[in-house]
Amino acid sequence: MTVTVDPAVAADPTAPVGGRARRSRRTAKGLIEALGPPIVVAAAGITAWELTVTLGRVAPYVLPAPSAIAEQFRLSFGTIVTTGTASGTNALAGLVLGTVVALLAAMAASRFRFLGEVSVPVAAALNALPIIALAPILNNMFSATSNIPRRLVVAIVVFFPVFITTLRGLREVDPVHRDLMDSYAAGGWTFSRLVRLPGALPFVFTGIRQASSLAVIAAVVSEYFGGLQDGLGSRITSAAANTAYPRAWAFVAGACVLGLLFYLIALVLERLATPWRSRGSS
Amino acid sequence: MSKTIFGRRRAAGLLMSTVLAVALAGCGTADEQTAGPTSSGGLTTVKLQLQWFVQAQFAGFLAAADQGFYAEQGLDVQILEGGVDIVPQTVLAQGQADYAVAWVPKALASREQGVGITEVAQIFQRSGTYQVSFANKNITSPADLRGKKVGNWGFGNEFELFAAMTKAGLDPGKDVTLVQQQFDMQALLTGDIDAAQAMSYNEYAQLLEAKDPATGELYKPEAFAVLDWNTVGTAMLQDAVWANTERLSDPAYQETTVKFLAGTLKGWAFCRDNPEKCRDIVVAKGSKLGASHQLWQMNEVNKLIWPSPNGAGLLDEAAWNATVDLSMTTKNQDGQTVLTKKPEGTAYTNEYVQKAIDQLTAAGTDVVGSGFTPATVTLTEGGA
Repeated sequence: MTVTVDPAVAADPTAPVGGRARRSRRTAKGLIEALGPPIVVAAAGITAWELTVTLGRVAPYVLPAPSAIAEQFRLSFGTIVTTGTASGTNALAGLVLGTVVALLAAMAASRFRFLGEVSVPVAAALNALPIIALAPILNNMFSATSNIPRRLVVAIVVFFPVFITTLRGLREVDPVHRDLMDSYAAGGWTFSRLVRLPGALPFVFTGIRQASSLAVIAAVVSEYFGGLQDGLGSRITSAAANTAYPRAWAFVAGACVLGLLFYLIALVLERLATPWRSRGSS
Repeated sequence: MSKTIFGRRRAAGLLMSTVLAVALAGCGTADEQTAGPTSSGGLTTVKLQLQWFVQAQFAGFLAAADQGFYAEQGLDVQILEGGVDIVPQTVLAQGQADYAVAWVPKALASREQGVGITEVAQIFQRSGTYQVSFANKNITSPADLRGKKVGNWGFGNEFELFAAMTKAGLDPGKDVTLVQQQFDMQALLTGDIDAAQAMSYNEYAQLLEAKDPATGELYKPEAFAVLDWNTVGTAMLQDAVWANTERLSDPAYQETTVKFLAGTLKGWAFCRDNPEKCRDIVVAKGSKLGASHQLWQMNEVNKLIWPSPNGAGLLDEAAWNATVDLSMTTKNQDGQTVLTKKPEGTAYTNEYVQKAIDQLTAAGTDVVGSGFTPATVTLTEGGA
């Protein structure tokens, strides 16, 4: 894209610039401004934590030092990757399943008034189901040695945010667009395909972005209730039960990384699917 | 403009992390909080943390409280129920209890992480853990587990099984499919897993309390094959009483420890001679499963304690060393061992339990139980 240089800016480069021109200039200074604060805060926090534990003589079984956690992270790195892959696969499968079902349900709910009125409370009730209740029930319904129960837990957890945001997006159609399509005598599906679905896309991806981290949490937590001992969740609980808290925290850090990875991928997909949003002022 | 925001944010972040750190430091420093004994009506109040829900596994403690054996020692013992996520060792080390019941390997793992606890009595002389499978699966030795779906509870309860597999030349991470087992036998009964972890005194009985759909009758022992770690040779020491290491330097706490152990052993001797009475005490305390199940459990637990030729509660050093060796050499599926080095400092002492044994023997209480013969308990459906 071309940058229109504002004469005022050219005259005084340090003057505050308008939104568009500033966004297009990804200078080093901008990067520092964007990334500096979180990095500094994180570093300060970890340093304070380390000092508190080492100088304050906090017992290692109460709160391990970051250095001890980092050491365990290094030692168990291979295991963190393999177990993270297992948990991540479950999270991804559940995320895809839950999203597809939520999209179909939202489309149906936005088309049929009655369904729309009924579905939101039902979805909210589903959202209120705690994993602690879901997981054991699903483990009994399906074989506990398969990954199906965990993936279903993730799908159920993911369903709600995607469903609600998508439904909102589908219902927000610009009246001008509606009139235009009406004047073309467009059918229901054509109208959906050309106006409602593209218009809802940003909402859909907002939902997916919210759901992405939830999916990882649900996948890890659902391992707590039985099934294969192949994921991060089983490692966190077994390390904690052995009072190996530094190791438990190392696996928790692994789960954090996995959650961030999911979030970032969702963010990138959102940018790719709705290029007009990152260009204009969002 | 952005500079001031940046500055403010950094300050807030620093402030928050400092507050958090200070708050955390306040709740559990390495400096022991000595929750010194408090008195109530002339009795010294003592808190005991169990490692599981109230059941006959802890009958001796419950009976000692119920029958007044603690009171005659001048103690008022409050028994704190355990659960899935309660780690008795840390409850003890943080001063929220005066004594705790915990398995030896788990407690030693906690000690390695800086939990200041010392074993003062070994209640169970033998391991009560089985690996059970349906007889038709032909799992008669640990080697037969190869390629099978093997259930285990995790939470540090799995190391005898891992030791047995390792001994049989199996790699627990590769040669079997490990399944996180719930604290019940459903997965085995539905055929979800091939072999399940079970305590002789609890989950094994739950199998015999279940109906065989093929016959409509309860399952018979013949329907199952049992791997017993005592015979396999990978047994580890289980229920033991742990005390707070730091406080053991205090003469008052030492005295309380002897009194507490004397009351406890008298309770266990009482349950050896009166299993039905102890069953009633346990059920009245609100055990999850019913009377027939608790009587079975009482009988099985008695088998783990009696006879004790040197006196109940006395730790056998050979068994201790075997447990420590297994804890240092047995690798789980990730190649981790329970312990990375030999226990340092005072990990156990027989000093106080010996005093308690001597005191009870002088008073005429039998703490050897050489004449003990287990009973035969009939189980009913659902352990009612």
